[in-house]
Amino acid sequence: MRKLLILCLFCLGIGFAISNFQGLATTGEFDSLVIDFKENIASTEIDRQLQVLTGEYHLAPRLNSQFSQSEQTYTVKGDRALLDKLRASSLSQDVEAIEPNYIYRATVAPNDPQYSKQWHLHNIHAEQAWEENRGKGITVAIIDTGVSQVPDLAQTEFVAGYDFVNNKVNADDDNGHGTHVAGTVAQSTNNNYGVAGVAYEAKIMPLKVLSGSGGGTVSDIAEAIRFAADNKADVINMSLGGGGESQVMKDAIEYAYKKGVVIVAAAGNENRDSASYPARYARVISVAAIDAQGEKAEFSNYGAGVDISAPGGGNGSKIWQETIDPSTNLPVIAGFQGTSMAAPHVAGVVALIKSTGVTAPDEVLAVLQQSVRKIDTDPQNYYGAGHLDAAAAVKLAQKGKITFNDFFRWLRDNGYLNLKFWIDGGAIALLPKVAMVLGSYLLAFLIRNYLPFGLPLFSGLIAGSSGLFFLKGFYIFDLPQAPFRVLGSSIPELGNAISGNSILNPLFASVLIPVVLLVACWSLPQGKWFAVGTSLGVAACLFVSAAISPSVWWLGDGGMARGFLIVNGLLCFGLARFAARGDSQTV
Amino acid sequence: MITVIGGIEHKGFGTGAWALVAEDGTTYELLDCPRDLREVGLHVKVQGTLNDDVMTLAMIGKVLNVNSFEIL
Repeated sequence: MRKLLILCLFCLGIGFAISNFQGLATTGEFDSLVIDFKENIASTEIDRQLQVLTGEYHLAPRLNSQFSQSEQTYTVKGDRALLDKLRASSLSQDVEAIEPNYIYRATVAPNDPQYSKQWHLHNIHAEQAWEENRGKGITVAIIDTGVSQVPDLAQTEFVAGYDFVNNKVNADDDNGHGTHVAGTVAQSTNNNYGVAGVAYEAKIMPLKVLSGSGGGTVSDIAEAIRFAADNKADVINMSLGGGGESQVMKDAIEYAYKKGVVIVAAAGNENRDSASYPARYARVISVAAIDAQGEKAEFSNYGAGVDISAPGGGNGSKIWQETIDPSTNLPVIAGFQGTSMAAPHVAGVVALIKSTGVTAPDEVLAVLQQSVRKIDTDPQNYYGAGHLDAAAAVKLAQKGKITFNDFFRWLRDNGYLNLKFWIDGGAIALLPKVAMVLGSYLLAFLIRNYLPFGLPLFSGLIAGSSGLFFLKGFYIFDLPQAPFRVLGSSIPELGNAISGNSILNPLFASVLIPVVLLVACWSLPQGKWFAVGTSLGVAACLFVSAAISPSVWWLGDGGMARGFLIVNGLLCFGLARFAARGDSQTV
Repeated sequence: MITVIGGIEHKGFGTGAWALVAEDGTTYELLDCPRDLREVGLHVKVQGTLNDDVMTLAMIGKVLNVNSFEIL
């Protein structure tokens, strides 16, 4: 029964991943259409079609510009419904294309003089997001070292907070960290001063739990979480971490989550596999850091528990906000780095999403994860779902049709966080694997007369073509991910499974292992058919790799690599055929 | 109580955090680091206790409360 349930969930996951894969062409705005007539169409026919457009559809087709006459390109006002109608009409026979006339907009940068330093806001497409939403009506609790109202927070609205370290209402900052974090979320923007913030119309609730030296107790932090939830915070940002699992903290997080608060935390700066607490709690969105090049920051934690990545500096780049210099208490625009800086970028975007109208924590997470810029190759889960994209998140939230699948919630709550294979890689990661398995069966079908179709052969086909590939998507707290990558790899991929990249090792991605396997297993009846299956599977894997991503160590990713893979694929197929035919009398 | 031998480092998170990087590569955060240990490159032997009830903004490793130390 349990196996049946797991199988059903597996099928559901695959079905969901494929059904949700959207092509790039489904995005973009347009309010007019381009009609490009074929060059060999007579001008009388074009005139007739233009009259039809005017008469039947009440359109006013016009040349796109004075240079469009020779190309015979016209534009008409219209939406997707008209596009579909025209494509189905007789007009389609006379045209090269009828397409949406996509609108490309230049955005206006804010007037904050040091905004140009903030590569991190460009990185998340903040400007395009601001055209739609700036976080109005949303309160973000900053659980940190306190927040001082520096000049570049003067136009930012504050709500009452609390200082849990010194037990007083005023929660000023004596370190500089909390003010910097608050700046990323809601620095006063378009105020002709300093720098900008992600959700600059959102309100800040300062909650001081860390002392001037940067540490604080789990009990204070848990109390601050409950305070935020009780005082109508919509989002909590925790750029802090460490310690062990705590029931008090877990209960506080659950309490806030049930009240609809979205909780965001930094993944940690130890450069290790697994997010630290509190980011790793199931209800918390855990944020890893990327640098200005979009690469993993050298310090960022990764792997199990990482949900998403956002700018946090590293490799020489910094995040720029106004804060205080703790030695003088004077305001200063300072460059900081850390997953501490990445988390408030996400908290800011959560404020934008909530302000748009999507408020349930699970739905907000779904919007965040579905709107990221996906990273094709991320075997170590450096980036979670991908890179944060504020503009895409706001657009998706505006559609207001987010459904969160119980299947994914189940996976998430059970520690299988961020199953990239199913959720994020979706069809991109899945289809080549399916092609490899089907390809190996196809090759076996070609020499079916010589083959005994049984478990040894099928095991070989799987081992050679795809491995137990779904295991690659498992990230479990405090377990190394390499064993899953090895189990989830086919034989040709084993040479690069430990290192976790996608460039094939030519010793493994060749006819070599099938030959050795066949020689070793020749006299064992079961073993031989496993070896024949493996040989066919490897052939399929090499052919598919040659077709879609021919990257091989020392041979590059061009014709040399492709040739190598195809030749070895043919040798594998030939080897299997030879071995099978040699034994055909016994089948 | 544990004893750790390693080097003192200053990590650039927030306004900076003092760290003891042990010979096996483990990084401990020295929250409220004693003044005499605040020198990058010092080779030291530290006796202290791990504090699991504390979270920090630096997030560089477990917090080690220093009871006594010896500069090597």
